[in-house]
Amino acid sequence: MKWRPNPSTLLLQGPVIDIIVSTTLPELEEGRSIGLEYSEFSMRALIDTGAALTIINPQIAKTCKLLQTDWNKITAVGGVEGEYPAYAAAISFPGTELPRLDVIRVVACPIIKQPFFSCLIGRDILRKWILTYDGRNGRFEVEA
Amino acid sequence: MTKNRATLLGDALATEGVEFKTELSIFEQHKLEWLRSNPGEFVVIVGTRVVGFHPDYESAFKAGLSAAGLGKNFLLKQIWAEEPVYLIY
Repeated sequence: MKWRPNPSTLLLQGPVIDIIVSTTLPELEEGRSIGLEYSEFSMRALIDTGAALTIINPQIAKTCKLLQTDWNKITAVGGVEGEYPAYAAAISFPGTELPRLDVIRVVACPIIKQPFFSCLIGRDILRKWILTYDGRNGRFEVEA
Repeated sequence: MTKNRATLLGDALATEGVEFKTELSIFEQHKLEWLRSNPGEFVVIVGTRVVGFHPDYESAFKAGLSAAGLGKNFLLKQIWAEEPVYLIY
């Protein structure tokens, strides 16, 4: 996946990518086989090498009816710290060839208030990718 | 049952979720034993029942979903000596 916004946009917004968050694939398959319906949520996500985990806005967990599996301790910029609910989700990357993540842990933490994105893609996902950031030419590239 | 963990910790941000009181009690009872037998693995606990241990989150989730049933919560916890604090910068 290659993205070439321009140097100023990349500087302002950072490396953002369109994603779709939904219930995990095993839940979708089982649920739909008995007639259940699920919501998915399209949004922009910031690829954040400073985030140890992938973070979503809590409203997304509610909208998509994600299943909670644990609590995780988070410390964020500005002194925000606490235990926040971890959920199982699926994340896909429309318009790219990046493979969908069928089951991935995401933590719902209300630290995301910027207008440009509703999710931080953390190093738990980045460990599966190669990320190239070319600030000089205003482009970035992700390879799975 | 839900609780607000962030508020309990004195944080100004409110976050609600499933408490997992029973499951976390089981985890704490067995933690030292599991640290020796299954360090770093994910344990799946449904109520008072320990479903099993898995090397990764995805396989543990599938096992938990199969054991608990669709739409039912279960605890899926990685076995650490100290609960990690994840930094977000």
